[in-house]
Amino acid sequence: MTSTVSLTVNGKAVSAEVEPRTLLVQLLREILGLTGTHVGCDTSQCGACVVHVNGTSLKSCTMLAVQAEGADVTTIEGLADGDTLHPMQQAFHENHGLQCGFCTPGMIMSAIDLAKRNPDPSEKEIREWLEGNLCRCTGYHNIVKSIKAGAQAMNA
Amino acid sequence: MEIKGEYRIPAPRETVWQALNDADVLRECIPGCESLEKVSDTELTATVKAKVGPVSAKFSGAVTLEDLNPPESYRIAGEGKGGVAGFAKGGAVVHLADDGGETILTYEADAKVGGKIAQIGSRLIQGTARKLADQFFRNFAEKVAPGSTQGENAA
Amino acid sequence: MSETGIGATVLRREDRRFISGRGNYVDDVNRPGQVYAHFVRSPHAHADVKSIDTTAAAAADGVVAVLTGADVAADGLGGLPVGWGITSQDGSPMIEPPWPIIAQDRVRYVGEAVAVVIAATRNQAKDAAELVAVDYNPLPAIISTQDSIKDGVPQVWDDAKHNICFDWGFGDADATNDAFAKASHVTTVDLVNQRLIPNAIEPRSSVADFDSSTGEMTLWCTSQGPHAVRLLLGAFVLQQPEHKFRVVSPDVGGGFGSKIYPYAEYATCCWAARRLGVPVKWTAERSESFLTDAHGRDHITKAELALDGDGRFLGLRVSTIANMGAYLSAFAPLIPTYLYATLFAGQYTTPAIFAEVKAVFTNTTPVDAYRGAGRPEATFMLERLIDAAAKEVGVDPVDIRRRNFIAPEAFPYQTPVALLYDSGNYGAALDKALELSDYAGFEARRKASEAAGKLRGIGISTPIEATGAAPSAIAGQLGARAGLYESAEIRFNATGNVTVFSGSHSHGQGHATSFAQVVSDKLGVPYENIEIVEGDTGRVQMGMGTFGSRSLSVGGSAIVKASEKIIEKGKKIAAHLLEASVDDIEFSGGNFAVKGTDKSVNIAEVAFTAYVPHNYPHFTGDPEADKNALEPGLDEQAFFDPLNFNFPYGAYVCEVEVDPDTGVTEVARFTAIDDVGNVINPMIVHGQIQGGVVQGIGQALLENGVYDQGSGQLLSGSYMDYTMPRADNVPNIDSDLTITPCPMNPLGVKGCGEMGTIGSPPAVINAIIDALSGYGVRHLDMPATPQRVWSAIREARPAA
Repeated sequence: MTSTVSLTVNGKAVSAEVEPRTLLVQLLREILGLTGTHVGCDTSQCGACVVHVNGTSLKSCTMLAVQAEGADVTTIEGLADGDTLHPMQQAFHENHGLQCGFCTPGMIMSAIDLAKRNPDPSEKEIREWLEGNLCRCTGYHNIVKSIKAGAQAMNA
Repeated sequence: MEIKGEYRIPAPRETVWQALNDADVLRECIPGCESLEKVSDTELTATVKAKVGPVSAKFSGAVTLEDLNPPESYRIAGEGKGGVAGFAKGGAVVHLADDGGETILTYEADAKVGGKIAQIGSRLIQGTARKLADQFFRNFAEKVAPGSTQGENAA
Repeated sequence: MSETGIGATVLRREDRRFISGRGNYVDDVNRPGQVYAHFVRSPHAHADVKSIDTTAAAAADGVVAVLTGADVAADGLGGLPVGWGITSQDGSPMIEPPWPIIAQDRVRYVGEAVAVVIAATRNQAKDAAELVAVDYNPLPAIISTQDSIKDGVPQVWDDAKHNICFDWGFGDADATNDAFAKASHVTTVDLVNQRLIPNAIEPRSSVADFDSSTGEMTLWCTSQGPHAVRLLLGAFVLQQPEHKFRVVSPDVGGGFGSKIYPYAEYATCCWAARRLGVPVKWTAERSESFLTDAHGRDHITKAELALDGDGRFLGLRVSTIANMGAYLSAFAPLIPTYLYATLFAGQYTTPAIFAEVKAVFTNTTPVDAYRGAGRPEATFMLERLIDAAAKEVGVDPVDIRRRNFIAPEAFPYQTPVALLYDSGNYGAALDKALELSDYAGFEARRKASEAAGKLRGIGISTPIEATGAAPSAIAGQLGARAGLYESAEIRFNATGNVTVFSGSHSHGQGHATSFAQVVSDKLGVPYENIEIVEGDTGRVQMGMGTFGSRSLSVGGSAIVKASEKIIEKGKKIAAHLLEASVDDIEFSGGNFAVKGTDKSVNIAEVAFTAYVPHNYPHFTGDPEADKNALEPGLDEQAFFDPLNFNFPYGAYVCEVEVDPDTGVTEVARFTAIDDVGNVINPMIVHGQIQGGVVQGIGQALLENGVYDQGSGQLLSGSYMDYTMPRADNVPNIDSDLTITPCPMNPLGVKGCGEMGTIGSPPAVINAIIDALSGYGVRHLDMPATPQRVWSAIREARPAA
């Protein structure tokens, strides 16, 4: 049994047939082919799948696809303006805020939400905000640095 | 893991013992029980739906009544397979004491799980098992003597 | 130094795709018509498989096949191979049990596959897996490393009496016993190096596609070394000839060792694809990763240090039980032996060392190399033991280390445990660490913490590591069943840009950037004109892959060797173009010039001439000259087999603040000084160290692979229970370098990928013990959780 879900993803109207149990992240990755959003766990702990739903960061493994009916979803693929990177993407690049890159899309999506709420977050505020995003490579040092720089650039 | 409880049931011990051996009563009292069929006096097959933390599964397996000492005590034991969720087994030693025409039911239960249900829900098993055991005996007491569990609490 | 050459901080070229969501990981790979595999796994740690009924699953919607161990046996597939053999002290070979890709008759750990369901969609495969009815007869299980060798415990393998895989000895037992006999003090510690679960954030995944018309198999899998996967799975498991087997590892989302091995699931996908004639895909769920990725560590150790009256080390005696899990993973036997006991000299002049290691089987997930692999266990043992000794003999932990350091002028230095250290200046690194950490100011910070009701402690560790394992010939004598070289090919294209093929494979280390810096520097080709290709046996000639911090020192050196061959060939072409003798051609900054003249030609023109050889030597009539006529093309390949390991070292200082009321430990400051030799890209090196340090802090404070001792269920089997370091658990890491070039490779580099993980756990624990010293606490097991710290305080606190 499937049902139709219609939503906006990265500014484009899309609709798809999904099973009731299909998660938003499965819709994005497996049906819409937006593989930039990653799956790193099965208990909603790692944060690799964070996207924006109606402007707010959300682990896309915690929402059913059908719940996204009518929603406005932004994924990592929807951040850059053509060849111009979003300031947060640029900050991750300039501050070596990534190594293997697997947690990076979720980190960037989370970070942008933080920067929208708090234009100049402290190191402590950034670290606390990232409680739901795991990185195994960087030790977070350069991620924190990236987010500080990215938030400043976004709000400059 | 030690799960214990005690209920005072305002009914004669013999009545309580009969109920403890009645498949229909057990079916209605085992939380999440979807089916329970008697195979013999001491063997039953059951399907039970249970949830431990984020893992919910349907267990199918056998329920056996062991160490029968009517009308004082027995052990009720169950073992079920829950597909990819793993397995669960557990049981309770139930003891009935006659107390002036009423019955004091005491139980001591244990539970073991394996597979995904243990992997994801290990921290929650004791609490879940305690809750399920208590729920079973509360249902049971209520079934045998309606209104008997008012204000009662498991130890 | 150019802006993009050796030593420059060049922002990583691979970032663009990762920050844009355009990385290409294995789960992003899809093949037309692919079907999905889902494994049915044992919920029992030890059980006989009485029967498997696949009827209902096979009839379920979308199911293509349900395969079991019986099918594996019927198809004659081999078991997973072991890449290193160890000989016991009595001369007997290690016990090497068979490891079929799907269990047959008996399961030996929770999570072992008993069947695989293959269906049109992931959900269909998963749903049908529910319908596979497996009848088990559970058996008693042995889980505890400590108890595994006791009488009367369950046996994992009949051949392995007392569950012992091997009982290995190393070093000079007599000399060591003599040293203890004349010691004025002996310090003993009993340590647990707990089981860790690697947890690269990208779960393992594979897609296999078999072309029956050509007999060619292509496997995409999450691997740190696709050539090794091809060799081991092709030759030992699948009987798929190497020339008809392509293994591709595209972007790999972290590995830390866990993605070295040729896993059963990859083989199963290949086998099923060949059998069913459709591409087969599998991606682990995190729950499966916890159960089936090779785990790390899991040692129990007794270590004794003999000292003279001046606090100098006379001898070291170590006895370890190392848990292998239920089967031998590919490099498991190597980890607690030659990657462990060879490090026991540390940075010190200890003259006599003896190690005994019993490797044991238990009903747990197999254990293998995990970031550091044997060296963190060695370092933790040594650096804890030294701190305990310092306390006992009343010498400052800094002083006791200095008293025993190998002097800078003593290199090359032969340790009593086989290694020949090439270079080092250990005192200099320690000096720098004490300065950067403001060691002198600690007392004031301690008092400030005390005023706030907190206990502050400081801990040191001075770790050494052996990286870039080598050379192949010696490794072979010690039991290696593979080579330890690396290969590189530098291919100039006709238009002057360059494609470099390396047998290393980045899984986050930034090879595409660092290697291009090396090539740009060596060949004078603009950085942006150089492309690095890795991770594909169909494109890269040969490779050993990335592990043991070897990529730059071994893989990078192969690139340097290939670039030297390019220059050599280029000189011949240039000599012809410039009408000079080859001996008169000099190469510098991308130009071939005739010595003492202003005549020169750029390497791009040389490349063009090599591929469009219109201006090339022609027939001379001199048979000798004609026979040696210049070949077209500018494409050179090199293999580098290092003559020795290289030996990065460091000095780490950790400062913690413990809340005595709750037992919560906060890492207040962490300073890491590392000497990794010459540095190609400082930004990447610091990133490796920071990440490594945090992984080590994870071991010290947070992470623990816990099994239920009776049932063998993995209790820390998800991110709810296995406490990964999160951003708010750790501080910024102050890292800096000293530079002592390594004489053993042309770049003068040493490995940097594992240092942080090796050096940080003892620094953290030493700091906590220091913080609790007022209570008389002498020992704490890792992870130092709030509960453990709080209990240690309660138990040690003298009754009021």
